[in-house]
Amino acid sequence: MSTYVTTSYTLAAMVAAFTLSSWRFKSPELAMVVTALVGALVAGLGFPAHLFVEGTFTFLDLAFIFITACVFMNAYSEVGAMNALVRAMVTRLSRWKWLLLMVLAALMLIPGALTGAGVVSVLVVGGLVAAVLRLMGLAEQRVAAFVFMLGILSAVAPPINVWAMLMAAGANMPYVGFDWVLLVPVLAVAAATVVYLGWGAVPQSKEAILAGLPPLSPKMTWWRAAVPLGILLALALASKYAAFAIPTLGFPLIFIVCTIATVAIDPERRPFGRWLAVTNDTVEQVFPLVATMVSVGVLVNILAATGVRGLIAISFVALPIVGIYATSLFVCPMAQGALGFGSAVILGTPLIFVFNAVGANVTVVAAAFSMLFALGDCLPPSRIVGRTAIETVGYKGTYASFLRATTVPWLIMGAVALAMLIFPGKVAFLVKY
Amino acid sequence: MILLQEIIHQLYFLMSAVVAVLLVGRLFRRKTRPGLAYDIVYAYALIPFVLRALHIK
Repeated sequence: MSTYVTTSYTLAAMVAAFTLSSWRFKSPELAMVVTALVGALVAGLGFPAHLFVEGTFTFLDLAFIFITACVFMNAYSEVGAMNALVRAMVTRLSRWKWLLLMVLAALMLIPGALTGAGVVSVLVVGGLVAAVLRLMGLAEQRVAAFVFMLGILSAVAPPINVWAMLMAAGANMPYVGFDWVLLVPVLAVAAATVVYLGWGAVPQSKEAILAGLPPLSPKMTWWRAAVPLGILLALALASKYAAFAIPTLGFPLIFIVCTIATVAIDPERRPFGRWLAVTNDTVEQVFPLVATMVSVGVLVNILAATGVRGLIAISFVALPIVGIYATSLFVCPMAQGALGFGSAVILGTPLIFVFNAVGANVTVVAAAFSMLFALGDCLPPSRIVGRTAIETVGYKGTYASFLRATTVPWLIMGAVALAMLIFPGKVAFLVKY
Repeated sequence: MILLQEIIHQLYFLMSAVVAVLLVGRLFRRKTRPGLAYDIVYAYALIPFVLRALHIK
């Protein structure tokens, strides 16, 4: 039997196993590992324990970033600093509806841009932003759509774009020159999202908005709220621009330092037990994301070992370039929904080689594909950011009604990404080394 | 600088151990996602943190 046939029926068995186990276990994470197990058995690899264990390490660094970033942001919210920040914005900007919406959008972009995970933005500031948006007159499904769209845009925004990083690593290209080529489209799509979702909303008075937010501790001053963010910004910039003058801390340790700073500025001096409870709650909150990272790692390892990864990649990249343009807006988000960040490794890396072969600017191409993959964060089975967004804002409608509300900004983002993919030369001036 | 880098390196092992302990705690005393499926997910999600903390991998 030819390798092609063997790999094809392994793929068929894996698809069947994934569908069945997703339905049976109601856990996309476990479904991925069961799929990997079935794939290994059907391909005649038996139970390759070493591949499973190695796979759990593939995205461990990202899992660390998610955990520490969420611990920091939850600690920051616990001391009331996030509330102080949002209140300050409302107090100063409530007269200008569009400006306040744009600033809220910018606030949503920051945590995800620094961590590479849209879900961090949703978890950390999504709740407070949603409270303000409701009081500004946005309908419930639009609030959920706003939080979701800004969540996925934050993951695409520089400096940390995990899809681009994975594609760059796989294609042996340095992760440099991405800042502007990611930032400009992200800001353009964010502005379009704000205008579309905010259109027609009639805001309540400043007093009503402030009354709808949690009460603020009188001891929480602006400088207390600014200290942890200042440290985060300073360390992030120093690790980028003074890399040879300071030791390499890494984002997880930077977030731990910021968490310690947050505890230090706490005006209430909460006891250790309270911080332990915050940490435990955070680990539980962020666990689906950590489990997804571990499970995707296992699945990607088995896909590679069985040859299925190569089969999928070759089937897609063997399409004529026009075929890739025509199917990317469907295939890339679907792959993201099924494989999470693994989609960038399985599809993204071979696509970089294809576009490199036709002379396209691969930095622009990687940036465009990262936007296309991000669109899949609301699609099943993982629905990671979509699911988190509706849980965080407490949206009671159906998931389909939430998807309908995101359709227009989703398509705008897809159109921008496709335009970058089709005309990479037109935006190549944004690639600055 | 080399000493600082070594300290940071060891801090990451410590961080793995802390996360592993927290995950074990949540495995037995979690408020959300009950059921056998997530017992299994918690159990295998622990693997990389435990192995890293023990300097095995």
